[in-house]
Amino acid sequence: MDVFGSFALVLAFICAVYAFVGGIAAIVTRHPLLVKSARQSGIATCCLIFIATFSIEYLFFSDNFASAYVVSHSNRALDTFYKIGALWAGQEGSLLFWSFLLAIYVFSVLVAYRNKNGELMPYVGVILAGVQIFFLTLNNFVASPFKALAVPGANGAMEFVARSDGNGLTPLLQYPEMVIHPPNLYSGYTGFTIPFAFALAALLARYPGEKWIHLTRKWTMIAWCFQSAGILLGAHWAYAVLGWGGYWGWDPVENASLLPWLTGTAFLHSVMMQEKRGMMKVWNVWLVFSTFLLCITGTFLTRSGVVSSVHAFAQSNIGHWFVGFLVVILATCLVAYVKNRDYLKSENQLDSIVSRESSFLFNNLILLVSCVAVLAGTLFPVLSEAVSGSKISVGAPFFNKVNIPLGLFLLFLTGVGPLLAWRKTSAESLKRNFAWPLILGLIGGVILFLAGMREVYALICFALCIFVTATIFMEFYRGAKVIRTRSGASFLTSAIELTMRNTRRYGGYIVHMGMVLIFIGLAGAAFKQDVQKEMQPGSSMQLGKYTMVLQGLDTKPEANYTGHRLIMEVFVANKPIMMLYPERREFETNGETGTMVAIYSTLREDLYVVYAGQSPAGTNLPVIHAYLNPLVKWIWFGGVIVVFGTLVALMPNRRAVLVLSGAGAKQPAGDQLVHGMRPSVTMREGHD
Amino acid sequence: MIRKSKRKRALLPSLLAALCFAGTLPLLPAFGDGQPLDHAHQLGMKVRCMCGGCNDSAGGCYHVGGAFSGPCDTAKGMLKTIDARIAKGDSDDLIVQSFVQDYGQVVLTEPPHSGFAGLAWWIPVVALAAGLGLVLAVISRWRKRITPVPALAGAGGVPGISSELLERARAQAARDTED
Repeated sequence: MDVFGSFALVLAFICAVYAFVGGIAAIVTRHPLLVKSARQSGIATCCLIFIATFSIEYLFFSDNFASAYVVSHSNRALDTFYKIGALWAGQEGSLLFWSFLLAIYVFSVLVAYRNKNGELMPYVGVILAGVQIFFLTLNNFVASPFKALAVPGANGAMEFVARSDGNGLTPLLQYPEMVIHPPNLYSGYTGFTIPFAFALAALLARYPGEKWIHLTRKWTMIAWCFQSAGILLGAHWAYAVLGWGGYWGWDPVENASLLPWLTGTAFLHSVMMQEKRGMMKVWNVWLVFSTFLLCITGTFLTRSGVVSSVHAFAQSNIGHWFVGFLVVILATCLVAYVKNRDYLKSENQLDSIVSRESSFLFNNLILLVSCVAVLAGTLFPVLSEAVSGSKISVGAPFFNKVNIPLGLFLLFLTGVGPLLAWRKTSAESLKRNFAWPLILGLIGGVILFLAGMREVYALICFALCIFVTATIFMEFYRGAKVIRTRSGASFLTSAIELTMRNTRRYGGYIVHMGMVLIFIGLAGAAFKQDVQKEMQPGSSMQLGKYTMVLQGLDTKPEANYTGHRLIMEVFVANKPIMMLYPERREFETNGETGTMVAIYSTLREDLYVVYAGQSPAGTNLPVIHAYLNPLVKWIWFGGVIVVFGTLVALMPNRRAVLVLSGAGAKQPAGDQLVHGMRPSVTMREGHD
Repeated sequence: MIRKSKRKRALLPSLLAALCFAGTLPLLPAFGDGQPLDHAHQLGMKVRCMCGGCNDSAGGCYHVGGAFSGPCDTAKGMLKTIDARIAKGDSDDLIVQSFVQDYGQVVLTEPPHSGFAGLAWWIPVVALAAGLGLVLAVISRWRKRITPVPALAGAGGVPGISSELLERARAQAARDTED
């Protein structure tokens, strides 16, 4: 099966090269057969990558320990579920997995648009094939996952062998989210290839009209949704597995995932200016380019080991390949832009500074400054070492100091932007839309201050959350009220109807609401508490209102590890409320240990208990580290809302269709309206 | 009257939002419970744990992935040094500088504001200033493009405006009010 998979990868590479070269020939000659063969070659590339990926999974499931990659990342006792995740546990597999996800996207695009956008698709096919060639080069010639296990023989020559069992999967990855988080994050990274391909193709082809920007936006939303889910799942994994009581440590690899998310978010806002007003075309194209470049930069940071990270299991020395690829992409984008920049001329002007256009400009500014700050902070240790010879660390305090004010301003704009009208917002409209949300936000802030909150950023954050929530409610209320008046339906039904009639707008508001919940959760970190204690059975520790009593310890041998579990009873005001079982796992195959945190989670706070280990002081008593993390659940809940909102925004609009009663009499609609005639209308449901 | 009623209409959803938040007030954390760090831990947050196995600060070392998830021996040693120097009466700056002398600037959890390291702080500021300048330049350029539109003739008709232009205006208006 390893030879089969390896062969499929080589064939995929050949097909991708044909799709690239044949595609260019098709663009030059405009020969329909060449166009078709290049597209079919692209589809064949994807199918061959699918075959190669299934082959390596087969090697995992069949415990084929003649494969070097399977030996390194699996063992017989490994749970079947984690054998799926073992694919991306190492460099070679995760690069193949990248190709696999990219192939799903490419396959979908080539098949879905095979009879559409005839002028654009050959360019899109060539660009996608170019990206696939890069990853297939890595898969075939640099980091092949299909290498057979070989050891030096008696005469010094390498001999192929098969082992009876493998080394097992790193314990950090033996957690359910590790089977979900990387696919989501990778789907985000790879997904941004599609909008990149459409944007570059439109620029190269000087594709007329705005169709390409709609396609780019739709695929960006899909990638953005995966990226958001991936980032939050990663945060949850860090929270539940690493046992340090937090979810975001500004680790370089975490930062790498945030960078394209920030530019992608900026694009999803500024693209509306192009769609509505024909503005910001250059900006939008470069945002799409930057997002893809940052995806590759992120992969470079993750893979190359140039920055130290807790994600060390994915590092190797293939960074220079990514640097080369980055240079090629950047050069291509620059040449395409310089040659065709007149194609990107703005059509409209700004009528007023107090308008939605301005709010989008500021939204983009803040998102990009945050992106620059995160990128600079991440790369600064490398830069300082190269320039001054001494490494300067940039840790969480730097990122927090820079990004918290930016984040709060962005939160403010989240409330302001949607209430500003396109073109111009009158003073009266400003007062009408903002007075009450602003007053409520201020009142909320004052109440929280009087209640004892003294953390300035948290206070501002909560006040802004009230303000933004009020503006979102107001938008739903106003629209739903109109529908309710006409249809007589309940308020909730009207609100759903409203959402379905303009999914993009109201889906966007739902996403904003999700972001508000996430901000509430993040602000809760200001009130975190923790305590660490050596405990004997029967002894107790206090944290906030919780009293934790260690009832005992037990040892639980499992197929793949031995679990050492603490049995802790939690009391509030002398009433038992919960049993918690924090655990440490010892993995016999590789001698590593893993943590399973016990969490009692409520909307108010998480009681987070870690079995930190046995006392290093020599008493061998278990050491328990407990944290009280306020409002963390709001972050996960907010994440679900963000994903839900994005899915709503991706749905087609259900719209009310005007049916003219005098349909038999043909008359231009414009004339009817110009002369003030009022056609009798009925409402009908429809989809666009 | 109309203005007043419009404002009243805005009040209702705002109050609804406020009610929702009032409902969540009991869920908010006890603000007074914030755990003050002791002096040694406060200073320990400014220097990195130099064990080489984690990226934590000495004051907040959890040594993720280690055999023991807690302050590792290196972090504990650094905290003990800080404690001893506080007891001796050394200033905070002097204590932090003593670690810089021992390990170099890599020991600091955030870059200093001076010298080459200060560049890290300047990059976001310069990016913000440059971005702001760019936004203002773009706005002013767009504003300059505005050309006065001749006023429409009387209410009875729209002389001088073709049906094509009218259609385009309608399409634009529809787009403007959609999102």
